[in-house]
Amino acid sequence: MENNIVEDVQNAQGDKEYPAGGAKGEDKDKEPRIIAFVCNWCTYNGADLAGTSRMKYAENVRVIKLPCTGRIDPLFVVEAFKKGAKGVLVSGCHPGDCHYTSGNYHSRRKYTAFRDLLSYLGVDINRVEFSWISASEGNKWVSVINEFTNKIKSLPGSSDIFSKK
Amino acid sequence: MEKMNDKLQNIAKKLLENKEVNLIIGFTKGSNPLRMRSVFITEPNDVSKLSFNAHCVQDLAVFLKKPEVKKFGKIGIVVKGCDEKAVNTLIQEYQLSRDNIKIIGVECRGVVKQNLADKGEDAVKQSTVYDKCLVCEVHTPLLYDELVESDEPAFEINGDIKPYAKIEELDAMSVEDRNMFWQKEFEKCIKCYACRQACPLCYCTRCIVEKNTPQWIETNIEETGNAQWNMIRAYHLSGRCIGCGECERACPVNIPLMLVNEKMARDVFEKFGYKSGIDINAKPVFGTFDANDFNEFIK
Repeated sequence: MENNIVEDVQNAQGDKEYPAGGAKGEDKDKEPRIIAFVCNWCTYNGADLAGTSRMKYAENVRVIKLPCTGRIDPLFVVEAFKKGAKGVLVSGCHPGDCHYTSGNYHSRRKYTAFRDLLSYLGVDINRVEFSWISASEGNKWVSVINEFTNKIKSLPGSSDIFSKK
Repeated sequence: MEKMNDKLQNIAKKLLENKEVNLIIGFTKGSNPLRMRSVFITEPNDVSKLSFNAHCVQDLAVFLKKPEVKKFGKIGIVVKGCDEKAVNTLIQEYQLSRDNIKIIGVECRGVVKQNLADKGEDAVKQSTVYDKCLVCEVHTPLLYDELVESDEPAFEINGDIKPYAKIEELDAMSVEDRNMFWQKEFEKCIKCYACRQACPLCYCTRCIVEKNTPQWIETNIEETGNAQWNMIRAYHLSGRCIGCGECERACPVNIPLMLVNEKMARDVFEKFGYKSGIDINAKPVFGTFDANDFNEFIK
């Protein structure tokens, strides 16, 4: 399972159309890459709904599906940054809607602390986004992705302690 | 001090003689008079080795996680107030049974910084103790079976003390500057994992850095792996760290790890009103949740 996640992050980064950030400096106006870790039950279906409804949204995002936001270890976020992602989105079921009753509540606690730590260690906190998107909220998925992509594009090209120089 | 040592030794002797414990972990005099080291006592006749003074810096609770110590079953441990919080956290996290441990609490008035003690400093003063002692709220341990009172007066605190002042300084910096600061600090890391070994709460038998399918954290010494390791160590301890400062003291390259630990402890208290190691019956902060938790960062 964990191996798959690392591979997923790797594959999401290694798209030929948009070479991963960091190492290859020649592609100056390349699009920023955003990794979205989503839960299987709500946000993934929300994104699916956006797709089947033929809604258009920024193509910078790469979706990685996990069972629950409670399964999204902050290490994944760090891994994504290390592999060159400019932004990371963590998204799952609304409070009270968790398929596993309380995974999203636990996740919220974890990420409250993790965000503080990230920011304290010098990572621009605007690069990590969190949202609750239900299976019926295709519209919200589209707007969250578009807004987040715009935000990432407007950020200065700052480095962080996790990406290779 | 002599009175304290006598009392400590009597308690230890009684516990060993009555077979209430099979092992006592305590402090004894090191080869350098201003350095104390740990001692493991199984025979009642050896209790005269036990001693306590302001140089007992080490957090002995670290030994409680070792299998070679666990096999003794019932253990008595000499703890200062801060170390006792580590015992509490271990009990809270089911790493230790309250029935198997006899806590010999010693009232501590602060411990002298070891780098100063090595130069001959012997006095407990505002300027010579560790930062953790300046903010200490547990000079008397919170939980104990036996208590050894201190016969020393508390040191005086004058003026505006700002322990861990660098935290506010870092908070006020821009993200870029913080990034620069930590990058410089983590650059020094040699991945010896002394911080982990010295920590009483890093008890995983297989640490995340030792997992290699997949290799989450690079094991060689380079920027990204160093930052990742230090960040994940701090994250795994947030809401759990009891602030004994052993990681920082163990660090051979002097990375100010307590700046991260203390910052996380403050954040967790601010967001969830939780302080680690206070109550053995409390749920660990990340083992529980509240429907009304901080939600402002989520869209």
